[in-house]
Amino acid sequence: MLKLVVCIKQVPMVSELPWDPNTRTLKRNLAEGMMNPACGHALEAALQIKKQHGGHIVAITMGPPMAEEVLYEAIAMGADRGVLLTDRSMAGGDTSATSYTLARAIKKECPDFDLVLCGCYTSDSETAQVGPQLAEELDVPGAAYIEHIAVKDGAFRLHRVTDNFLEVLEMDMPGLVTVTTHTYMPRYPSLEGLQSAFARSDIKILNARDLRLDPAKIGVNGSPTKIINVYSPTAAKKNIVMQGTAKKVVDEIFAKFADRISGAIGKDLKTHYHDNKACTK
Amino acid sequence: MDFNPCMKHQAVRKAVRKFAETELGPIAHDIDRDARFPWEVIEKMRPLNYFGLQISQEYGGAALDSTSYAITVEELSRVCAAVGLCITVHNSVGAYPIEQFGTPEQKERLLPRLASGEWIGAFCLTEANAGSDAGAVETTAVYDDGDYIVNGTKVFVTNGGACDVALTFAITSPDDRRKGASVLIVEKSMPGFAVGELEDLSGMRANPVSSLFFEDVRVPEANLLGRLGDGLKIGLITLDTGRIGIAAQALGIAQSAFEAAVKYSKERQQFKKPISSFQTIQNYLADMATEIEAARLLLYRACALKDAGQPFSAAAAMAKLYCSTTASRVTNLAVQIHGGYGYSKEYDVERFFRDAKATEIYEGTSEIQRMVISRAVLAQLV
Repeated sequence: MLKLVVCIKQVPMVSELPWDPNTRTLKRNLAEGMMNPACGHALEAALQIKKQHGGHIVAITMGPPMAEEVLYEAIAMGADRGVLLTDRSMAGGDTSATSYTLARAIKKECPDFDLVLCGCYTSDSETAQVGPQLAEELDVPGAAYIEHIAVKDGAFRLHRVTDNFLEVLEMDMPGLVTVTTHTYMPRYPSLEGLQSAFARSDIKILNARDLRLDPAKIGVNGSPTKIINVYSPTAAKKNIVMQGTAKKVVDEIFAKFADRISGAIGKDLKTHYHDNKACTK
Repeated sequence: MDFNPCMKHQAVRKAVRKFAETELGPIAHDIDRDARFPWEVIEKMRPLNYFGLQISQEYGGAALDSTSYAITVEELSRVCAAVGLCITVHNSVGAYPIEQFGTPEQKERLLPRLASGEWIGAFCLTEANAGSDAGAVETTAVYDDGDYIVNGTKVFVTNGGACDVALTFAITSPDDRRKGASVLIVEKSMPGFAVGELEDLSGMRANPVSSLFFEDVRVPEANLLGRLGDGLKIGLITLDTGRIGIAAQALGIAQSAFEAAVKYSKERQQFKKPISSFQTIQNYLADMATEIEAARLLLYRACALKDAGQPFSAAAAMAKLYCSTTASRVTNLAVQIHGGYGYSKEYDVERFFRDAKATEIYEGTSEIQRMVISRAVLAQLV
């Protein structure tokens, strides 16, 4: 029976969130929380491994008390139990502080795990760093952006698609993977699952003291990353009217924009165009 | 008194909303246009317990509390009222009476099939000459050697074209108006049972509403629900529960129309301004928001009373009356805010407008709800 840990983050439902142009931040207080999409795929991967090989799934999340909701959702989908890490001192942690905290919780709650599964990134920060950093903290092999997990002879065989190549990797147990959103489409939680999860779920709540966390390594104070600015990139469109003969206009386009067009299509158009012009002369 | 939804109710709402928006959202317009029951979505709903919302877990149901049940119907109907209708009718007047009044054998045999959605349920009361007046039913069930022989025609049966089991209201003692009716569990496989043409209705077009024909259908005595002559009692209690479902459905339609109206009013420019900047439109939106909130509170209060085991008949009637009236008013204003586009089938508010009207008619008309409410009021106040 495999011991599986799935790390899940509750993220704001960004599609429903207004953006405050003055403070240049999301109005998070208006946010409905939801399970980070990629974490849903990681959970589905764990559920499919469990179905095939037998297993026990612990879902772990770190966040404010309301983040408990994603653990109920995970249990409704098929996880066996949940662990909520919540403490004001953990708030505002960067990926390093988060990985440290998650690692301590995993070592305490599931020290003999076979596989930790994370989403490849979160929709609210998109750093994709927590998974790999967590593997370091746990001192186990880690493989990111995994699309298929097979269990064979006490090891994992993993598929990863990068730049149109399929990599097949082998990883010893215990290990950690981050799962993409391309495969392992998450199932819907059943209504009976939700009802039972809330009626009799086993959710453990742990704070910094329970985990004996080093205060210098958690929360804002324990985060080496400092966010200097958050802003919404702007894109402006402008019409330019060119006049004259076709030849004149085409020459002008290439003189002014060949670099940009080349960048977009990946060909050195300036040289190409001028070479062709030279040939026709 | 806590007006904040608990975490479970939030989770149920999110789960159902996600399912409805993903699976029903892309097809809701087309299945309404084509009057097509979406079997492919029904198939996906079966394992998720949508057909066993309040059936006990021992029979494979989800055993939801009434507020979770209402939220489920509300969220389905927010996207597709015709499927919301199928689910609420199946659960509240198809399966619930069996759970409530069925014998152990009936529960054992029928509830697992209903909870899994293998069988879809319907409730047949309305006839050509009987609707609000349940006592005027003409369908008969005559006892004959261990069976009841059922003859008659039911009309406007929700889920009629898809049902596997029909709880059928029939006269067993023609001379006794009060105790003369009974409810029989008629199964689709019984000879003499036939489904008529689908009704060509204004709204709820994706639900296979149809007539059902009963021609010398032999129904075993074991399929009598409750006791002989309990028809009126079962009907009234069942409809109290059914009204919670229809109120939830109406609320979902109103919510959807309101959201569409807010969005459109911010986008639509007239006189070089979004129309939401005009006071008349703002007043419309304020009225819509207020009525929807009031409707929601009435509905959830009826649910809370039911779960607390307190009398909820009048509260359910108030919720049904107010939610359905609100749905009609809100969808009417949503069409008005959309102007010509709202009158076009291209926009969803046109569908919401047609769907809303039905909620004022079925499961007891608004006039019948007022009768139920006034009886309760007059019985209480000196």
